[in-house]
Amino acid sequence: MNRVYLDPIQQSIIDGDDEAAVEGVRKALDAGVDPILILNEALTKGADIVGERFESGEYYLPELMMTGRALKAAMEVLKPAMAAKAASSSPEARVKIVIATVQTDIHDIGKNVVVSMLTAAGFDVVDLGVDVPLSSIVSKAEETRADIIALSALLTTSMPFMKDLIELLKARGLRSKYKVIVGGASVTPEWAEAIGADGTGQNAVEAVHLVRHLIGLN
Amino acid sequence: MQHFLEIFDRANNGEYISEEDWDLQKVAATARRLVKKYHLEWDRQQIVVDDTQLIDAIYQAGFEMALELGVYCRSTERVIKFQQEEIEEALKVAPKNIHMGSGKDERVLYARKLNDEKPPLFFGGSPGSPIPEEYFLENVISYVQEPLIDLATCGTLTVVDGREVRTGHPLEVVATRRELKKMHLALERVGRPGMGMLGAQSSVSELGDLSVASPNFLRTYDSHLVPMLNELKVDFRNLARVVNSLDYGMINASLPCVIVGGLGGGPPGSAVVNVASFLLANLVCQADYHLLHPIHIRHVATSTREVLWVIGAVGQAFARNAPSIIVADIYPKSGTGTRELLYETAANAIVNAVTANHLEGCGAADGKYPNCSGLEARWMAEVALASHRMKMSLQEANNWVLKIIPLYEDVFSRPQGNPGVPFDQVYDLKTVQPKPDWQNLYESVKEEFRKEGLGV
Repeated sequence: MNRVYLDPIQQSIIDGDDEAAVEGVRKALDAGVDPILILNEALTKGADIVGERFESGEYYLPELMMTGRALKAAMEVLKPAMAAKAASSSPEARVKIVIATVQTDIHDIGKNVVVSMLTAAGFDVVDLGVDVPLSSIVSKAEETRADIIALSALLTTSMPFMKDLIELLKARGLRSKYKVIVGGASVTPEWAEAIGADGTGQNAVEAVHLVRHLIGLN
Repeated sequence: MQHFLEIFDRANNGEYISEEDWDLQKVAATARRLVKKYHLEWDRQQIVVDDTQLIDAIYQAGFEMALELGVYCRSTERVIKFQQEEIEEALKVAPKNIHMGSGKDERVLYARKLNDEKPPLFFGGSPGSPIPEEYFLENVISYVQEPLIDLATCGTLTVVDGREVRTGHPLEVVATRRELKKMHLALERVGRPGMGMLGAQSSVSELGDLSVASPNFLRTYDSHLVPMLNELKVDFRNLARVVNSLDYGMINASLPCVIVGGLGGGPPGSAVVNVASFLLANLVCQADYHLLHPIHIRHVATSTREVLWVIGAVGQAFARNAPSIIVADIYPKSGTGTRELLYETAANAIVNAVTANHLEGCGAADGKYPNCSGLEARWMAEVALASHRMKMSLQEANNWVLKIIPLYEDVFSRPQGNPGVPFDQVYDLKTVQPKPDWQNLYESVKEEFRKEGLGV
C-alpha cells in the first residue's frame, strides 16, 4: 500500500525532479506514511540507484546534481515531520559534513560530485563553495556542530592549505572534535597521511565509504 | 567587439545568473538539448569517428551553444554574450600560423588539416606534474634533448628552497621565475636556446604569470596558459593574464579542460562543450592556439575511450569547419617505468596524428607524482610520425586504437592507478639518459608495435 506513495517519490529522485519530490513527500505524509519509511524506502533508495548509475558511467554529473537538488528539497519537507514525530532519523542523516574547496582554489566540479554523492547517501552536507578561507571553514564547522570537515583542492599548490587547516584546528584545541578528510585530483594517500588527515578517497564513491567507515557504519 | 577591454563592460552589465543555475539550467540543459537536436551519439568501438556528418553536426552544435550561452564571468556572476558575427570574425582573425622560438630552433605551429602533408609538431614536457627542484633541470633536459621534440614545456615547481609554494603566495613568483630560468638553462645545455616554450607552468594563479612577461623569462615568441574554468567560465584573475599579454605580445594558449561526464554529459555533449569553449576562447582568452585537454570525470586520463573519442571529434570538427591551431595534451593514467604508459601514449598519439592535432606530452600518473620522463615523449612523437608517414586513415587509426586499448584499460580499475616511479629512478641524473630497465621496456614495446606493422 505504501509503495503507491513511495514509488513516485523514488522515481522523482531518480529523475532529479525537485517539484515532484516535494509533492510526493507531502502526499505521503498526508496519507500518514511513516517519515522514516519515506526516507529509507524512497529517498535513499532512489539516491542509491542514481549513485550506482553514475558510478557505472550510465549517468553523468548533471543527473547527480539534479538528484542532490531534489533530495535537498524533499528533506526540507520531511525534516519537520520527522522532528514532530520525534522519530530518530537514519544514522547518516545525523552526521553533519562541512565541505569546501580550500582558499586560493576555485575548482568546484570534483567537490560538487562529492557533495552530490554524500547527499545522495543521506548525509547532512553543508557546502561552503570554493576558495573558502580556513577560518570560515572552522567557524562554520563550529556553528553547525559538524562531525566531519571535508576539504577539496585540485591545485597542488593549494593543497598545503589543507595542512594549515589541520594545524589551525590543533592550535585552537579543536582537532579532536572533527574528522578531517581531504580529496582532489592531486591528493594522494601519502599526502593525506603526512598532513595528519583522517583519510582520503580517490573518487566520490570512496569518499562515501570513507565517511561511513569514519563514523563506524561500515 | 572593437577592443578586448569591452569584455569587462559586458562582464559588468550582462545578465545576472547564479553559478548553480548556469551549470544546470544553461550548460547542462543546453548540452542535453543539442545532443538530441543533432542526434549525436558515440560508439565505444568507434573511438576515431569516421563520419563527416557526425563531425559537422558536433561543430554546428558547438557553435550554437557558444552563440546561445556565451561565457559566465564568475567574478561578477554575469554572462558575457557575443553576436554571431563576432564569433565568426574571431575565427577569421585567429592565427593559422604562429612562429614559436627563434633562429634555427624556430618552428611554425600551424592549423592542421585532415590528411595534412605536413607532420604534427611536438611539445615535450609533463605539464601539471610536480617536479622536485633538485632534478627539475635534468627532467626538462630529458625532453628537450630529444631530436623529435620541437617545442618545450615542463612540470610544476611546488617547492623552492625547501619551502612549499602556495597558490597566490609570493613564492609563486619565485617558483615561476626559477622554472623559466631552468628552462632556458636546459635549452642552452642541449644547444637549442631558441626553442619556443609553453611556460610559466608553476604559475597556478595569475601572479607568477604576470611576473614573467619579460625577455629574460617568457619571450614574446613563447606561449603561456590562459585557462577557462569548467564549463564556459572565466574570472577576472585569469583575464589578467590576457590583459598582461596584450601589449607585451606573448602567445596565448587557451586551456579549457572540459570534463567528460561532467556538465556536458557523455562524450557527444562534452565534445559540443569543447567546441563552444574554443570558439569563445578566441574572444575571451584571445587565443592564438588552443590546448585540447578533456578530462575524464573519474579517471582523469586522456586515454579512456570516452576522452579519446572527444579529442578526435573536436580535432576533426575544427579541421573540417574552421581550421584552428590545436595542441592536444596527452595525459595518461600510468606513470613512467610502466609498460602501460607507453600503450596509453601510443593510443593518444595515433588519435591526435590523424585528427589534425599537434601533440604535447606526456603528463603522467594523473599529474600527482613526478613520474615522467623524456623517453615517453620520444615515443609519443615516434608513434605520431609513423601514423603520419603511413597516411593512416581514420578507420585504420580506429583499428589500431581498438587493439591498443585492451593492453592498458585495466589500469582504470586499479584502486591506486598505475603511477610507476619517479624520474630519478628511470633516468641517470648525471648523463640524463634512460636507465637500462626503462630503455629496455621502451625497446620491447617498440618492437611489439613494429611486429604489428606500425612503422616506428
